Amino acid sequence: MKLTRRQLVAGAAGAALGAAGIYELADKLSESPARTAAVPLGPRPPEQHVLDGVPVVVENGVEVVVPPRHHLVVTATLKPGTDLAKAQPELEHALRELESRYEQTPAGLGITLAWGLPYFDRYVSAAAASHLPFDRRAQKPALLPTRSFPSDPHGTLLEENDVALLIRSDRLEHIEDARKTLLDDLAVFEPRSLRRGFVGGDLPRKLAVAAGVPGADLIPPDSELFLGFTSTQKAGLGPRRIANFETLGLVDLRGGYFRGGTHMHLSHIFEDLEAWYLNFAFQERVDTAFRPGLKVAENAQTVPQGPKQVASAQEVERDFKRAGRFGHSASIQTSSRLLQDTTGEDGTVYVKGTAIPQRADFNTLDNPFAWSADPERDGMVAGAAAGVHFVVFNPSSDDFHRNRLAMDGVLPDGTTMPLQAGARGQGFNSVLRTTHRQNFLVPPRRHRSFPLAEV
Amino acid sequence: MAIAAAAAVLVLAADTAAAPAAGKGAVCPAVWKAGWVKLAQKIDAPVYCPTWMPNPLDAKIGGQWTDIYSIGKDRSYLVSFLAHGDLGSGDVHVNFRGYPGRTAIPKCATVAIEGNRVVRGTVNCFADPRGTLKVGSILATVYTVNQDADQWHVLYAWHHAGSLYTVSEHVIPPYTYAQVTRNLKKLMHSLVLIEPAQ
Repeated sequence: MKLTRRQLVAGAAGAALGAAGIYELADKLSESPARTAAVPLGPRPPEQHVLDGVPVVVENGVEVVVPPRHHLVVTATLKPGTDLAKAQPELEHALRELESRYEQTPAGLGITLAWGLPYFDRYVSAAAASHLPFDRRAQKPALLPTRSFPSDPHGTLLEENDVALLIRSDRLEHIEDARKTLLDDLAVFEPRSLRRGFVGGDLPRKLAVAAGVPGADLIPPDSELFLGFTSTQKAGLGPRRIANFETLGLVDLRGGYFRGGTHMHLSHIFEDLEAWYLNFAFQERVDTAFRPGLKVAENAQTVPQGPKQVASAQEVERDFKRAGRFGHSASIQTSSRLLQDTTGEDGTVYVKGTAIPQRADFNTLDNPFAWSADPERDGMVAGAAAGVHFVVFNPSSDDFHRNRLAMDGVLPDGTTMPLQAGARGQGFNSVLRTTHRQNFLVPPRRHRSFPLAEV
Repeated sequence: MAIAAAAAVLVLAADTAAAPAAGKGAVCPAVWKAGWVKLAQKIDAPVYCPTWMPNPLDAKIGGQWTDIYSIGKDRSYLVSFLAHGDLGSGDVHVNFRGYPGRTAIPKCATVAIEGNRVVRGTVNCFADPRGTLKVGSILATVYTVNQDADQWHVLYAWHHAGSLYTVSEHVIPPYTYAQVTRNLKKLMHSLVLIEPAQ
């Protein structure tokens, strides 16, 4: 769909007044993704974090998942004086009302409530002490205090929100309905930030250009994300239930209250598009995004990352010794992929090399958020900036931490690749700047509303 | 406030300045011409004199904005004009290169310090082609990943009479990639060929 300049300007002006701002332009600039078949209404999965009816397309011979187009994350604290016994059924009722209106599909609405350590510590500490899952491998709680990482800049904010609401849909009006229902109509949450964004189609370039982001013209026209590579290939994402606490046996569920739940990490990261596209030639972008020397077709965006392409720690170390750099995907794969065939708790067999994390990240023009209750603390700046709201589900905080450390060259076998923070040899890291981080626990659907309040 | 105003004026001036067409009758400005003629004679090959430069630069070799004037043993040259925005208006940096008698993209040395070791290599000095621009008899290729003095520049490269020529501008505030691209198109349209015999 093409717009005249007048339509574009009019749309931009109108959008500035609307709740979703620049993101409302998405539906004028680009067609909504085709959803091939309606998913019949049925029982919802016990997990909050999985979506039904997510289509898969084939690009460059690789299966690619087509995620929901629009995303909203709301972080919040509880309103002072909230009576959990009263608030719990009210929130659950509101969520069920939304579920009666929308299927849990990209065409409908996906809502995931994730709870932070401050909630468990402040409101339900006694129950949390006996029910929160425990990571057997790490010998630590599955939900850990948020930490920073070697490549994080000084000043990365480690947040302490009570709750995060991840709301996803192809339709902005569905997201707005959920926002209004859960925030305006219910008097339980005190929003701290609103974070908006989008994924896929040809939106990253079109929206970045429309917003006047430096380097926007350098984004490949049909790129799924700002940095030019496809991240949602099916083989690179964890299968449906693999990130559940119980699936791989990493986590002791104790009483089983959180069976069907998972861990979520949320961060905001600025992406310097001009630094990426003006300093790294295509082959170097491939070297640093995947692994040094990887040969792919010129300007390819979708690069196979299935179990057969997984790099071992030895290969990453060898690449580093040879080329003085390591690839983003390759280094993370040393901790994010199964080292052997593994049978899940429900009998599902996951082959060696299968991805564990389920990514749900999305690009954003927030700077760094669409709205903040504390603009000074959050570093709010007028105007748009390229970035990503990184959302990922892992079986525990430690599992996420291991992946993130590997991204900085600290491999799970103890090997450390000595690169300075932001060094060119770290590729991706040199153009990324993390501003905020927090770990959350995602309860199963049956306990999503003020978990443990009833215990 | 004064700094912001100065920056705004600079950008506005760059966007609205009239760009002389380098068509028939266009000439290298008299105050700039001597330097370019001297360069052409020294390397015994044609060079390109711009008749427009992004504000505040001019193209007077040896003038206040000249940053580098370098001629190699192989007759290749680099002429660089740079304005440091010391008052906060940002840098404006334009490079002109020529490689008489050869058209291949040159190689640039890379040196990376990784931990406690030095990793050396070579890469094409101009990489990541992103389309072409036809201006008169010039068919220029746009390169976005460039090395050495052209690092973080957008660069246009073309062939003439068996030689390679380039012009590039740094992407740095106050100019974004989009603005630099506009500047370079204007600059390309302003080029005038100077023969060594002139």
